[in-house]
Amino acid sequence: MIQTAALVVPLLEVKDLAFSYGDRPAVRGASFSIRKGEIFGFLGPNGAGKTTTLACIAGLRLPSQGSLAFLGEPFEPAFSPRDRARLGLVPQEIALYDELTGRENLEFFGQLAGLRGGGLDRAVGEALELAGLVERGGDRVSSYSGGMKRRLNLAAGDLHRPELLMLDEPTVGVDPQSRNHVFESLRALTSRGRTLLYTTHYMEEAQRLCDRVAILDQGRVLGVGTAAELAASAGIPGADLEQVFLKVTGRRLRDE
Amino acid sequence: MSLLSSAWAIARKDLRIYFRDRTGLLLGFALPIALVGVFGLVTKYFFGQESGLSKTTLWVGDFDGSARSKAFVDALRGAATVRVKPDPKEKAETAESLRKKVEDGEAHHALVVEKGFGEALAAGRLPTLRMYRDPDRQMEAQMVSVGLMQAFFSAAGSDSAPLLTARALEILGLPEEWRERTLAVAQAFSTGIGALFGEAEKEGKVGADRAGDGAGKDDGGPDFQSVMLDLVPVERVDLKPPKRPKQLSYMLAQSVSGTGVMMLMFGLVACGALMIRERDQKTLDRIRMSPAPSTALLWGKYLFAAICGAMQLVLLFGFGRLVFAVDILADPVTLAVVSLATLLAVSSFGILVAAWARTQKQADGVSTLLILVMSAVGGAWFPVQIIDLPLPAKIVSRSTITHWAVSAYQGLFWNGKSWYEPPMLLSIGVLLGFALLAGLLARLLFQRRYVGV
Repeated sequence: MIQTAALVVPLLEVKDLAFSYGDRPAVRGASFSIRKGEIFGFLGPNGAGKTTTLACIAGLRLPSQGSLAFLGEPFEPAFSPRDRARLGLVPQEIALYDELTGRENLEFFGQLAGLRGGGLDRAVGEALELAGLVERGGDRVSSYSGGMKRRLNLAAGDLHRPELLMLDEPTVGVDPQSRNHVFESLRALTSRGRTLLYTTHYMEEAQRLCDRVAILDQGRVLGVGTAAELAASAGIPGADLEQVFLKVTGRRLRDE
Repeated sequence: MSLLSSAWAIARKDLRIYFRDRTGLLLGFALPIALVGVFGLVTKYFFGQESGLSKTTLWVGDFDGSARSKAFVDALRGAATVRVKPDPKEKAETAESLRKKVEDGEAHHALVVEKGFGEALAAGRLPTLRMYRDPDRQMEAQMVSVGLMQAFFSAAGSDSAPLLTARALEILGLPEEWRERTLAVAQAFSTGIGALFGEAEKEGKVGADRAGDGAGKDDGGPDFQSVMLDLVPVERVDLKPPKRPKQLSYMLAQSVSGTGVMMLMFGLVACGALMIRERDQKTLDRIRMSPAPSTALLWGKYLFAAICGAMQLVLLFGFGRLVFAVDILADPVTLAVVSLATLLAVSSFGILVAAWARTQKQADGVSTLLILVMSAVGGAWFPVQIIDLPLPAKIVSRSTITHWAVSAYQGLFWNGKSWYEPPMLLSIGVLLGFALLAGLLARLLFQRRYVGV
């Protein structure tokens, strides 16, 4: 296994995480840490366990083993509203209410996050701006294009300014313009000091966007580091992430 | 690809999808079978058991205590259309308590066999019985009359035939002063009929050429059916709860209560099922990930269901008031208490179904099945409360939310009861018990299905 050391206090530290769906293991002893202010990529083929790992971190699934620490403190979002408030999630699916307008969706999720009054209005306004939907905020989500929904999906996850925003393949099925908008939005977020955990199976996205990457396959973390560090550790210095990925995970097709 | 093969490919794909959800499929097939079964059982108990007729409850007090009165009450116990209460082993009622039962709406008919019953029969006179009755319960009145006639014939023996014939002629308008003469004619008639039957029996012809059921019916003549039902002399004392709205009929009250509760169940199950959609859309994950307390989701669903249910009830009762002029707001506090208990019970049921179901199809199937079954056996369609159900059917009926909700609304609308009176407290208490039980089960299932904890 490739491992590069990090001598900073991690924002999130995941140790030996495991989760099974019945007798089918999805995550097998995953360990990695995310530093404050970085975009941490989670790279893996379909069925690698990326979404399940995210769900375990978010408290949506209870891992069968392992531990989480946030800035060195034990972290249990499944049981602690305070811990949940430190996280934001942008699910792979468009997790929005079609029958409500964009603004109503944001207001609802903002209220659940504890925002009220002027603070809520401000957060909703900024989220609409982030999504590029200021003009269409009053329209029902059902009337939005796929790209608009994706952008709003992202904005809804960041509404309450979480310390760690987790994005599960946020660019699946969007046109190049919307994808570019998503990337710009993410850069804008990191420039404001936000930390992102970004899962994808698009190598070029990970290469272009992420400061560090974890390669995940069949529930195991096979390597963590920058693209250059991973290439060096894999014995192909100067290679791009795709080459490293194929070297580390092999060329065999994955059954989901 | 031809039209036929394309159509077949589409149909085959749909069948595959249809058959893949095995629980949903099972429910799809079980639903009609269960409904046929429930309809069959309800119809059997409602429209007839082995005797061919269902029974209605008749409270009886024997204050004569003679052999004849005892025989009469025993005959009533054996009658096909009534079930006599109290049972022989139970404490006897006083005339005043019988009266109060009817006045309070706890009973619709109560018969007082007064002192002198046996003596009158022995002396060849018709004894008078006193019946406290709810004049608005016509269906039960017919059943009670049939039972009384059957018992009276049985208890009074052959002596009763001329007496009752004479009474029939009186009812049909023959002056009372001709009583002795009519009695003589009746006696001669009875003797003559007896002789005719004796002769026919000798020739082995009894029952060979019986006339049709409609024989003797004369549209322009006297109503023999009502004459027969009135043959047993009964002094009727009509009593009804003073708070009962004037415009209300029993069936209308039943319809408003029963339909209201059934539609409420359908509505609130649909509310609960929204949770399944949220789970599939992943908006539920967003809610669960928010810093809001984890119980807020279930409470939010309760609140939503309760508000929708309250709006539904307001509309339904408002419609009842406007169209049928039913004064349902006579006791708004009791209406609110009963509605709140019903809403809590039904909301819990809806959320329980949503928490249990893995797919929308399963939720639809099981909720339709349960609601229709509960509506049928719990009295939302037929007033099963007026029927003396066999014990197993009674237990099933009382195990439903519908039974207690309909009973509570009927208690309010029909009997004018307030929420703090014992029968109402019982119904309200059971509804709250249902709410608590279903709520706890829903929470457990929710944890398992949605949280995986």
